Amino acid sequence: MSYELQVNGKRHRVDTDADTPLLYVLRNELGLNGAKFGCGLGQCGACTVTLDGAPVMSCIVPVSVVGARKIGTVEGLGTATQPGVLQQAFIDEQAAQCGYCIAGMIMRAQALLDQHPAPSDEQIRRHMMPNLCRCGTHMRILRAVRRAADTLKAQDGGGRS
Amino acid sequence: MKGPGRRRRLWWWLLALAAVLAVVAFAIMWRPAIAPITAAPRFEPGLVEKGARVAALGTCAACHTVDPSRPFAGGFGLDTPFGTVYSTNITPDPRTGIGNWSEEAFTRAMREGVSRDGHLLYPAFPYNHYARMTGDDVRALYAYFMTRPPLDAPARTNEMTFPFGFRPLVGFWNLLYLDDAPFASDPKQSAEWNRGAYVADAMAHCSACHTPRTRLGGPDNQRFFDGGEAEDWYVPALNARSPSPLPWSREHLAAYLRTGIAPGHAAAGGPMQSVAENLRHAEPADIDALATYIHSFLAQAPERATPATRPGSLPVPKADDPDLARMRLGHEVYANACARCHDAGRAESSGTALPLQQAVALYDPDPRSLIHLVRDGIAPPDGEPARWMPGFGAILSDEQTIALAAYLRRYGAGQADWPDLAEQVRKGKP
Repeated sequence: MSYELQVNGKRHRVDTDADTPLLYVLRNELGLNGAKFGCGLGQCGACTVTLDGAPVMSCIVPVSVVGARKIGTVEGLGTATQPGVLQQAFIDEQAAQCGYCIAGMIMRAQALLDQHPAPSDEQIRRHMMPNLCRCGTHMRILRAVRRAADTLKAQDGGGRS
Repeated sequence: MKGPGRRRRLWWWLLALAAVLAVVAFAIMWRPAIAPITAAPRFEPGLVEKGARVAALGTCAACHTVDPSRPFAGGFGLDTPFGTVYSTNITPDPRTGIGNWSEEAFTRAMREGVSRDGHLLYPAFPYNHYARMTGDDVRALYAYFMTRPPLDAPARTNEMTFPFGFRPLVGFWNLLYLDDAPFASDPKQSAEWNRGAYVADAMAHCSACHTPRTRLGGPDNQRFFDGGEAEDWYVPALNARSPSPLPWSREHLAAYLRTGIAPGHAAAGGPMQSVAENLRHAEPADIDALATYIHSFLAQAPERATPATRPGSLPVPKADDPDLARMRLGHEVYANACARCHDAGRAESSGTALPLQQAVALYDPDPRSLIHLVRDGIAPPDGEPARWMPGFGAILSDEQTIALAAYLRRYGAGQADWPDLAEQVRKGKP
């Protein structure tokens, strides 16, 4: 089957089976290797991307259900030389240890900041709950999301004044 | 002339009648305040621990705890046909909680639904059940709550539809539905069954959700355990009408009530999840008694031939299916998304989910619980062990969700279509 997907604002045409998980398409067909395969059962969140702005675990999203909805991956947020606000915050807080969960963490956090630019700490904790980190850097991850929210607020305030 | 004299007498009678009615209405609707206490009460050793077990069986935290780091601070909004009622702070904070409530005031609230200051509480708080709790249990519960860490959490304003914002009206509800006769055990039943009946009725208030309500919001006890609703979920019948495709055994039920999971049978979702969350902290013997009691009703359900005993994946739609396009879409979603975990071929592991032909929600009389499960999944509270099902609300479109539910109903459960399926799916996307 042939599917047209919109990833990070670009259209791509892929030929694959209907039951192929979106994660495999992103990694194997499109070379977007940010999202990781963790459990393959929607239990860990390492494969989190956004679908029309909402965080989804791409290992349980069959490519056939995506349709025209907009897919967002960590590659869409910035580059190594010009990291996005969340990516920079994760660097500043040194929030990665092995790093395997981080692309998923960042995409889940991005979905939160898109909807709630000024989240409370409780909101951040609740929102990030589905994503697991086996190294135990949760406290740094939470700090990184907090830092990104504060940076966005400062930028927003600066822009208006 | 007799006319004016008779008319005048009639007026006097009407006036007297109005006065009597006013006094009666006042007596129904008005309750006095009970004086606040100023010193923290002291309790004999062991009473607080007993109270903790009563609180677990009463599933108090299910409504009074929203944020696990702030236990019993209230703030949970319960949608009712009469408006949204918010649970209140029952920590001993003197200003925003129950810190200045005497035991007398606490007991009156539990038995009559009256706040310390005399205002009537809405029966979203199930005092019509707690009214039958023993004095010892109420006292232990008081000791437990008065020794929790006090938290500052003012009550949220309820959002009631007119005229239910006028609390004294609850007095009339109480007249109809508040039965304060003490719990009576049934001498024909075992001691364990009677303990279970007491736990179910006076504490866990099972029938508050598992029994349908009248139009006035009272329990329709003519239809005891016939199934009801809570928070927009269908709440299964627990008697001969039980929708479960597999018969419940008492052991399955005890495991379900203790852990939220009956292996190979059911996993608690929605409002029942927080009930199991509470019951986990109760005495195991009490949960066994509860299972014995509830099972005596569930055992009335006739054995039915359902696809639940059929092994394997769900079938592809028949070529002559009158709704073939939708069923094909539903099957595609099932095969590509659900079957990854729910297919019967998967070995037992922490990721193993029920084969969907065994899922009770497919057999419910309406599709609400299935829709919630598909969209929101099952997420245990932070730090609690339980099954995790990811939600598909952001993954599936309304059309895909409708097709999936219609397919599961027809090919998973072999049941007649839900007439209101599309409407229920489109009604409320989270």
